[in-house]
Amino acid sequence: MTTVEKKHPPYMLVWLWLAALTIIEVWAAQAGLTRRILIPILILLAVWKAALVAIYFMHLKFEPRRFLLVVLAPLPLAVILVVAVLQEWGK
Amino acid sequence: MGADARPQFRMTHGRQVEYGLGVYSGKLGMWVFLCSEVMFFTALIGAYIILRWGSSQAWPDPTKVLNISLTAFNTFLLICSSVSMVKAYAAVSHGDQRGLRLWLLATVAGGAAFVGVQVYEYLHLIHAGVLPSGFREGGEIMEALTRAGLPTGGHELFGAAFFTMTGFHGFHVSCGVLCMIWVTVKAFRGHYTQAHHEGIEVIGLYWHFVDLVWIILFTIVYLF
Amino acid sequence: MTASTPTAHGPAGHADHHAEPSFLRKYVFSTDHKVIAIQFLFYSLFFLLVGGALAMLIRWQLGFPGQPMPGAGVLGDDAAPGGVIAPKFYIGLVTMHATYMIFFAVMPLLVGTFANYLIPLKIGAPDMAFPRLNMWSFWLMIPAGVLALAGLVVEGGSAAAGWTAYAPLANSPDYTGVTGGQVLWCLSIAVFAASSLLGSVNYITTIINMRAPGMVWFRLPLSVWALFITAILAILAVPILAGAVIMLLFDQILHTHFYLPAVGGQPLLWQHLFWFFGHPEVYILILPAMGIVSEIIANGSRKPIFGYHTMVYAICGIAFLGWMVWGHHMFQSGMNPILGTSFMVSTVLIAVPTAIKVFNWMGTMWRGRLWLHTPMLNAIAFVAMFVIGGLSGIFMASTPVDMYIHDTYFIVAHIHYVLFGGSLFAIFAGIYFWFPKMFGRMMNERLGKLHFWTTFVAYNATFFPMHLLGIAGHMRRIYDPNAYQFLQPLQPLNTFISVSAFALFAAQLPFIVNFFWSLFRGRPAGMNPWRDNGLEWTVPSPPPHGNFAHTPRVLHGPYEFSHPDTVEDFLPQDQPLPARPGA
Repeated sequence: MTTVEKKHPPYMLVWLWLAALTIIEVWAAQAGLTRRILIPILILLAVWKAALVAIYFMHLKFEPRRFLLVVLAPLPLAVILVVAVLQEWGK
Repeated sequence: MGADARPQFRMTHGRQVEYGLGVYSGKLGMWVFLCSEVMFFTALIGAYIILRWGSSQAWPDPTKVLNISLTAFNTFLLICSSVSMVKAYAAVSHGDQRGLRLWLLATVAGGAAFVGVQVYEYLHLIHAGVLPSGFREGGEIMEALTRAGLPTGGHELFGAAFFTMTGFHGFHVSCGVLCMIWVTVKAFRGHYTQAHHEGIEVIGLYWHFVDLVWIILFTIVYLF
Repeated sequence: MTASTPTAHGPAGHADHHAEPSFLRKYVFSTDHKVIAIQFLFYSLFFLLVGGALAMLIRWQLGFPGQPMPGAGVLGDDAAPGGVIAPKFYIGLVTMHATYMIFFAVMPLLVGTFANYLIPLKIGAPDMAFPRLNMWSFWLMIPAGVLALAGLVVEGGSAAAGWTAYAPLANSPDYTGVTGGQVLWCLSIAVFAASSLLGSVNYITTIINMRAPGMVWFRLPLSVWALFITAILAILAVPILAGAVIMLLFDQILHTHFYLPAVGGQPLLWQHLFWFFGHPEVYILILPAMGIVSEIIANGSRKPIFGYHTMVYAICGIAFLGWMVWGHHMFQSGMNPILGTSFMVSTVLIAVPTAIKVFNWMGTMWRGRLWLHTPMLNAIAFVAMFVIGGLSGIFMASTPVDMYIHDTYFIVAHIHYVLFGGSLFAIFAGIYFWFPKMFGRMMNERLGKLHFWTTFVAYNATFFPMHLLGIAGHMRRIYDPNAYQFLQPLQPLNTFISVSAFALFAAQLPFIVNFFWSLFRGRPAGMNPWRDNGLEWTVPSPPPHGNFAHTPRVLHGPYEFSHPDTVEDFLPQDQPLPARPGA
């Protein structure tokens, strides 16, 4: 890739990571791990992949810091809703 | 890179305005819209999580009901179409019109293929007796689970949540494909230049978001 | 999105080098925020009338139970056999009254009309960031409204599960006896949600990105701050409603069981999702009203708003805390008591920023040279009535007290004190205040004051006694209180309330007459009839397409009233502050 005004992230590298993480996810799900171990691993992998897409493909890495406030605003609300309601059926 | 380095004003459509967040309106508007979409999918996915983990019943194992391999491939397809989208954007920001057009066509193809595989999956599941109202008694899946002594509790909710979540995601992908076709037509007409290609970035954001939601959905619905 | 021609348009807007648009383009399918705002205004006032008419029917049944209503023949034999309102029709009335008022009257008034009209003008912009999206936001309300009204005329009647549509009541015709009506309700809410989201995207983007030079965040008028925070609440809360309603709709038409307990669905899930939306929703209904009131009280007191920065932080505080209180609508649902306690604490906390705002309005008026024009009267009434509504809220916030008053008329009194005493008085204030700017003509002050005083008296006579009904145990939404022996002694109070309600409805006549007469025959308004500081008062009434001939440069905040060194007692935001003598 030639040097230009804008610096482009390594798209193909990110793609390889996404493919690899997907393969690991599918393998883990069918490997018969106990759910206690499986679920945190799957959550971690999914969040990692989502973060890669958001940071590199959606260019969040290169946006002004303040702008991240806009983007991240819904996340705590989503967590509050799900966690609070899960308390109803305390497990 | 402190706040002092930020300019006081911007130019937009020939007028001077306050700097704001330093992001042009199309991109800002799309991100705000995507925030609302995060909340929408939170309602649907949250409902699934709450119904499943709040339930005292043992739910069917999705890996025994759904076609994991096919959907894993479909996930990979959508990720590839995200890559082609970002390559299209990179192309137009380098002034490569040909690259823009080819990568956009690849994105449309990837998105359309994803929807196609989903439709095929739906038809197959419905045929096997998996419906929004639950697993049909005497249907292929219900029989297989019962014979193997596997849990079928909560299957009505499983069916409902599965079709609602993946259905709305598929609807969003379909809308994305239609918009992408329109953008591709405009690209072939030379509408996007190296200097002005905001439309490519904005639809790209929507496209990546749809991919991102699927990454979460695939994990929660298919693998847990 | 990106224009086909990259040439920049001049600051005056693009009307000058295009051909004059057709009537349809200019007044019907317009992308001009001012036209869209006025479309929302007429739309919402229509629904306000419809919602009010339904309330008259409800009050007839409660005030004169079992008696044939004059003119009820038009309702047909299903709804009112022999002119007596039927129980199923009654519960449909209660449902649709609230639905129309909340979603099709108050929200489109505060967020459709005032957000659309005021935001670009007050920040010095020629229009919204996305004018075509704005047009779509209005036109989506048409199918939403048609779907909502359709329930009244379909077989089986309208939705009849309350505006809160609790599951499993709302899920199944077995419980409500309603089929099509409930589905139509869900569809109308879903379409409404889409319209609301398009509008909010516009408001947020416009306020962040299109402020004139010098219009820094802490020089924004409080109405713009309020509308900005409201739009953020809407963007994050309305999609939750959309998701919840879609699952309800699927339960109704696709035989899913999200909320049906027989196979493991959770009715409480609906309540949580609905109120997670529902609580921010009530702040959506009140914050713009508070913003409007701030503008008018500063104007009517000829004084700067007391504690401007604190007012901004209070708006943000209310919005932030508002996400964590939704369970207080559900204290009686049987939820986990620890969860209930946390909701109680957060709810009581929210009184703090709200009270700060009330004290600041009072501080603004204190020692001001009060100009009691009609908008000011309505704004002052807002403060007083909202305090009453807020105080009843403190009772409800306490879980043990709420155990007694939940689902009684105490709640109905609270709702109407904050929504009518609060939002609606603010809406009236805003209409009287900005009508001259919108239409270039003044409304009649005498009729305005007549409307205000008769409304104020009739309104309190209608809703204050409801507190007493509630404490006495009178449940809400019930068709015939006399079926319960312990409620029979309350009938005279119910009749009194109903008569007051009829008077309240009649009291709106001067407003309707004033509004339409002034449209054509009102005194010409001039540019700044209220001697106010906002940028909208620096352009002609009504403003031209593109609003400002030259982009304004903002030099100070919007509340420079009675500045010691100015000649006038007001100073528009684009006029320089006088140099201090001897500086």
